[in-house]
Amino acid sequence: MNEVREDLRQDSPQRPGRKPHPAPGTDDTSGRRLLAFLTPSAGGWQTGLATVVGVLVALALSSLLIAVTGGSPLASVQALFQGSMANWTAWTSTLLYAAPLLLVAVGACVSARSGTFNIGQEGQVLIGALFGAWVGLRLAVPGPLLLVIVLLAASLAGGAWAALSSLMYRIRGVNIVVSTLLMIFIAQQLVAFAVNTSWLLQESRIGDAIVSPQSNPLPAGALLGSVGEYPNLQVNGGLLLALVGAVLVAVALARTRWGFRLTMLGLNPLAAKHAGVRVNALGGMALAISGAFAGLAGAVLLTSPVGVNRLQSGIAMNIGWDGMLVALVARNRPLLTIPVALLFGVLRSGGGFLAATGVPPFLVDVVKALLVLAFVAPPVIVAMIRRRRAGVRTARAEHRPAPVAEGAAL
Amino acid sequence: MTEDERARELTPPSAPALRLRGISKSYGPVVACDAVDLAVHQGEIHGLLGENGAGKSTLMKILLGLVQRDAGTILHHDGPVDIGSPQEAVALGIGMVHQHFSLINPLTVWENVILGDTGKIDKGAACDQVRDVSQRYGLPIDPLAKVERLSAGERQRVELIKCLRRDPSVLILDEPTSVLTQAESAELFGVLRHVVRSENRAVILISHKLAEITAATDRVTVLRKGKVVFQSATAETGPQELARQMVGREVSLGSEAAALGLLPVEPPRTGESGTGKVETSVAALRLRGLTVTVDGVRVLSDLDLDVAPGEIVGLYGVEGNGQSNLGDVLSGLVLPDSGSVEISGRPVDLNRPGALHAAGLGIVPEDRHASGVVLDMSVAENLVMKSLNAVSGRAFVSRRKTHEVARRLAAEFNIVTPSMDTPVRSLSGGNQQRVVLARELSAGPLVLVAAQPTHGLDVGAIEDMYRRLRDVASGGVAVLLISTELEEVMALSSRIAVISSGRITGVLSTGEATAERLGMLVGGVAA
Repeated sequence: MNEVREDLRQDSPQRPGRKPHPAPGTDDTSGRRLLAFLTPSAGGWQTGLATVVGVLVALALSSLLIAVTGGSPLASVQALFQGSMANWTAWTSTLLYAAPLLLVAVGACVSARSGTFNIGQEGQVLIGALFGAWVGLRLAVPGPLLLVIVLLAASLAGGAWAALSSLMYRIRGVNIVVSTLLMIFIAQQLVAFAVNTSWLLQESRIGDAIVSPQSNPLPAGALLGSVGEYPNLQVNGGLLLALVGAVLVAVALARTRWGFRLTMLGLNPLAAKHAGVRVNALGGMALAISGAFAGLAGAVLLTSPVGVNRLQSGIAMNIGWDGMLVALVARNRPLLTIPVALLFGVLRSGGGFLAATGVPPFLVDVVKALLVLAFVAPPVIVAMIRRRRAGVRTARAEHRPAPVAEGAAL
Repeated sequence: MTEDERARELTPPSAPALRLRGISKSYGPVVACDAVDLAVHQGEIHGLLGENGAGKSTLMKILLGLVQRDAGTILHHDGPVDIGSPQEAVALGIGMVHQHFSLINPLTVWENVILGDTGKIDKGAACDQVRDVSQRYGLPIDPLAKVERLSAGERQRVELIKCLRRDPSVLILDEPTSVLTQAESAELFGVLRHVVRSENRAVILISHKLAEITAATDRVTVLRKGKVVFQSATAETGPQELARQMVGREVSLGSEAAALGLLPVEPPRTGESGTGKVETSVAALRLRGLTVTVDGVRVLSDLDLDVAPGEIVGLYGVEGNGQSNLGDVLSGLVLPDSGSVEISGRPVDLNRPGALHAAGLGIVPEDRHASGVVLDMSVAENLVMKSLNAVSGRAFVSRRKTHEVARRLAAEFNIVTPSMDTPVRSLSGGNQQRVVLARELSAGPLVLVAAQPTHGLDVGAIEDMYRRLRDVASGGVAVLLISTELEEVMALSSRIAVISSGRITGVLSTGEATAERLGMLVGGVAA
């Protein structure tokens, strides 16, 4: 009994906090629903306040760090802005980063809401890119169709890669957090092998030129182009794909039978099982979907102008990790991931620019980490303080908590 | 037993190893122990008998320093002592084997045994010590074995070795046989006999099993509602007397409780099915040969039970005799090793998720927070979660229909909530329980299983729950009431099935249920 419960729960060290709900006695319309998603949840003003304080502290600490390492905080902020939002070119680069981040984050929301914590997105991104590249370079299919096939193959591969972890859990009880994490390293090895092996994906030798560990460039037909015509801004198709994905997932989670069951599973697996939910199948599917989104992000990295349109070992650029952080900061709400992904896109494109001004590039990562902590820690800390208070109250009533596991009541 | 021995027992020669005088302890308004006197002598096994909530465990927690008494004195070899912490209890030589093992499964036997010691770890010495103790008391165990590979009986031995190694003068065992087989129990009592006979230690044996108490103890004390109601040399009493003393209450309970305002005044349902047999129609719920094993322990063995449409059958017994496991099976959370569940004559395929619900079984689970409701989902969502088809199309859940259903059920079942979108977490216990009941009944079940349905509810909510269960039964639904509260079972059921050690030891009609017969059945003795 208890074991079942723990097995189901152990894979969700972070579970979503309290579900938001509209004000009592009102009929909820979609708009109100949206607001409910964006406003702090019930009794959550402490959480909101703590978040604001957390962000301020994070910014103060970041400035301090920059100052200590010999930079100027003000100049740094300026550089960050210059590189990410100051002009259309900067915006283009920001949006190019935001698209794969958003895709990964949306997938992470799905698995987290089902109570499964997938942290292997980095590997799933790589596997998506690997299979996307393979299909794109091997199939002789005309133009846009090839792109569609590449995207599909990448998401299928990413999903299957994640599903392996759920399979391992079903068969041998391997912890999903651990297996998704360790599969990243296998994925890295696979990609490295593929781009170093001539009969796999390594670029073809032209004359006596030295071959690099990378694939040939993808044919033009398999590349994601810009959508719409704007003077200087380019909005890549990948971003559109990610936005559609975010909205679809948000609607599916909030409105469909599938989403209802998934939410039930994430919040109380026993009750879900009791209500007739196929717990293992649904949980496994959520993990696979989250992997598929990561795989799709891999394809976007491969086919959009964010990179060189070749498969390389470093193609994932930590997008998997950052995407997972985006979902964490957005507290697993698909619609909230959109602005957060944008923020992380800003940090990425601005971070590159910042490095050019002499601030060590790893500081950008530190700033990012501090920001993540500022968003993620407050609800946990507030909950902890509440529990501590409740605990003190109980302990007082019972004089002292029993240090030994006790048998019968009374 | 010779005259000498008897005389010795009546006038114990030495001062008692442990004497409690007027020990009282209350938790808020609940009195767990009320002026308890108890004397435990060296060289005797003292049985402590009582139902759930009789105060046995609280008393022992006081002895172990886990709980501080409100009043009374503890004398250890005639010197007053204060037991402020478990460490002090250990220093006084009081050791306890808990009902639920406190072993660390991935560790080996010797590692578990020395856990809590200070100083350098000496594997060789520890193993020798384990072997030494195990030889001296006839508790064969391999010190290098991992605990997770041991049977329940062997784990019990490890607990005993842990305790005996510290050379305790008073050894307390809390329901030690609840996880043991018959042979393992016999072996355990042999060891205990050895411990008191040849080493002059004192043993307190807590149990609700009459056979055990009469066979293994020298003296027996019966606790009921925190008071000592009976004390005797075991040889001078018998299972009948003990059963009567343990259950104590007479059969006119329903009216007594009604006078206290605890129960609705309607008389309990009795009558047609009073003979204890269901012959008239096909049983709505039929359990056959249910066997469940958890961690190698048989918690349900070959359990048979029938409930006819329109009747309330109370399943009564002391906690931990398999009731919660039966609840898990009927919730679809646990698959039985063998046996079948039939609803209205049709067997249910327990492998299919939701099959029990589809077949017409509604259940109010024992722990509503664990499996009854999803605390962070709304009242409306909780009310429809088992019948999504009624409120959704092929893919989408209709918010409007969900709210309609929820509003109707909330009105019908008096669920008090600020709105249908309020999370169930912020409702009171009684209202949460009504949400569960409303959901289960809204599906129009043929069978309703209510496991400890009034646990943790206030008096008003209890009354409401009783009234609803009666209404449900009079509407033709078969109701299985799983409860450890005798009052509840007596007030509601027409038949009482008694469960002990995972099997039904007897089924009585409410009219036949005397304290003595119930006590015998609860104690595992056929009456």
